[in-house]
Amino acid sequence: MNNRWWILSAALGVVLAAVLCLPRFASAQAPSSTSTKPTGISAGAKSKTPPASNTKPWTVPRTPDGHPDLHGYYNFLTVTPMERPAKYGNREFLTPEETQEVFRTGLQSAFEPRDGDEVHYGNELFNPNSVDYDPTTFGLSPWQNGIKPNPRTSLVVDPPDGHIPPRTTAAQSARVLAAEVTASGNINLAGSRAGTVVQGHGYVTDDHNGGGIVHADVPLDLGYGTTCVSPGGGPPIFPAEYNADMYILQTHDTVVLQGVNGYRVIPLDGRAHFSANFHQWQGNGVGHWEGDTLVVETTNFRPDDTYRGANAKTLKITERFTRISADTIEYKFTIDDPATWTKPWSVILPLSAEKGPMFEFACSEDDYDAVNILAGARAAEKKTSEVPISQK
Amino acid sequence: MSRSQPNRARDIPAVLFVTAVALFLLVTVNPVAGQAPAGAGAKAPTTTEAARGAAAAAKAPTAGQFRPYKAPRTPDGKPDLNGIWQAFVTADIDVQDHDAQAGPHPDIMGAYGAWPGGQGIVEGGEIPYKPEALAKKKENAEKRMLVNITSDDHRHDTGDPELKCYTPGVPRANYMPFPFQIIQGPDRIMIAYEFARSLRTVYMNANDKTIPQEPPADTWMGWSSGHFEGDTLVVDSKGFLPYTWFDRAGDYHSDALHVVERYTQVSPYHIMYEATIEDPNVFTRPWKMSFPLYRRMEKGIQLVDFNCTEFVLDLLYGQYSKYPKK
Repeated sequence: MNNRWWILSAALGVVLAAVLCLPRFASAQAPSSTSTKPTGISAGAKSKTPPASNTKPWTVPRTPDGHPDLHGYYNFLTVTPMERPAKYGNREFLTPEETQEVFRTGLQSAFEPRDGDEVHYGNELFNPNSVDYDPTTFGLSPWQNGIKPNPRTSLVVDPPDGHIPPRTTAAQSARVLAAEVTASGNINLAGSRAGTVVQGHGYVTDDHNGGGIVHADVPLDLGYGTTCVSPGGGPPIFPAEYNADMYILQTHDTVVLQGVNGYRVIPLDGRAHFSANFHQWQGNGVGHWEGDTLVVETTNFRPDDTYRGANAKTLKITERFTRISADTIEYKFTIDDPATWTKPWSVILPLSAEKGPMFEFACSEDDYDAVNILAGARAAEKKTSEVPISQK
Repeated sequence: MSRSQPNRARDIPAVLFVTAVALFLLVTVNPVAGQAPAGAGAKAPTTTEAARGAAAAAKAPTAGQFRPYKAPRTPDGKPDLNGIWQAFVTADIDVQDHDAQAGPHPDIMGAYGAWPGGQGIVEGGEIPYKPEALAKKKENAEKRMLVNITSDDHRHDTGDPELKCYTPGVPRANYMPFPFQIIQGPDRIMIAYEFARSLRTVYMNANDKTIPQEPPADTWMGWSSGHFEGDTLVVDSKGFLPYTWFDRAGDYHSDALHVVERYTQVSPYHIMYEATIEDPNVFTRPWKMSFPLYRRMEKGIQLVDFNCTEFVLDLLYGQYSKYPKK
């Protein structure tokens, strides 16, 4: 009897000890390192503004594998112009007063543009006078749109003059036809027509009489954007007038960059790119960490859908994500295509943390535009053709 | 009594104790044999697992049976479902039993367009339709290739949404003949589908007050919340638009659709998948579909574009073209 008691209690003690040693229990006691709640005021290192002096310095939160935690929702709408306005000369940064003025006037004209306003959503093709896009009907109010003040004079940071380098002679002489420029800045060669680009849509050409002529004979004339073929989400990540939201999901070997109308799954396991035989709508991206910066390199673009009409064979887009504060990721993209631009060029676009969630964007499923534009063109043709012969 | 008798009597519990400790530590502290192959690195099987494995290795696996398996864990201690998976049933054609068929336009398509037969994935065999709903299913099937895209919701009245490259809904997306990728973060699981680049987000943190618990809007892929029950990922989805079908045979649902899925990894290479369908507008009771999902094991496997919409522009909008096909 004594022996049995001894065995039983010893066995019980062993069981308890072994269970407590199981990895599951050990890790549950480790402090969580995935919180992104702000622990201090933004240091704003890149903007060179001094941090607030009376709080703990902010440190980047990390995932269990030790990398900075980038996950969350971000807004990347901006009123900073793509290229540096001449009045700033060689200055990379605005003064604090200028920053607020640019922010204030940008917000105002984004929401309620007046004649003569140049609305810079970073996409200079946006025309507040266009009949297509009336910001007073679709624009977000300043308190909604998530734009934050940006102390930079331009989005382009390299070359240091803040201007996109000239295109190569070869690229200039190759006629990029009046193709559709999608919201992301991609130029789709589908539906290209000779003529002047009006309102960023290849299927509308200037009638030189204050209006536009719609060429919508076949569905592909509308281009890949309006027909919901071209997915959003970059690369590069770049705002249009709206839907400048994204979500980043991060595991130890994969990053998902989710845009509103499209997403990319980026492997971080060091694999090579696809061979040159593959041409993908959003290219083929692979990622790796360089210190605390996530680097994503993308090649293998489709020749009929490249950023600013670049050459799909030689285009490489490199993106760098660095969390610089609790609510900002500094996002820098570099466009490198020696066949199209005389040198690589880079943009810094802040990603500002915002509240989620993101909703589903079922583009093709709800594409009424494709029907209405084509049907409208047919109705206009019918009307013209019904004019009596004597009046033609 | 000899001197050794009392000593031997006391030795027995000591021997038992040591054996118990040894066995227990071997079984619990060492992870079990069977690791996810991708990136995790194989670990040597334990004594007991090796014994079981050796005995079973003499026999080929039996369809429908899996040896006991415990999936490796993510850093936050959850079963690790990361990877690229694919179903190999023909349920996208018909979730119930179906013979092979010629498919559309066999005069042009020949064997390219023919559809294979397959055993159904519906538990019990038949979907329990209400009588009037069964009539609607048959009408769907008759009109599955009738595409009439208007600039309103009537565009969804006829025509299989798969034919139009519309996002396939749940659970059809999981048994399309295309791979999909599970990316498992601590508070979100995303499922990225090669077909039409569809995407689902499963919200895993019920304590996150910034995420609505109820669907804020109806969507094609529904609003999904998930949690783990032991080794099973349970995903609860609702807030569906009524426009998706379960297959090409016209099986359908209303906006009252409620789907509960269970994903259980039963080997390094298989997830057993089960979906319970509930829709009181269409069915007389809840019903289940189940089938295995297979881990895609090609080295460097990755989803490739199947944008799909690019292939169907004329199908969708050709009637509005200046040169309509007759």
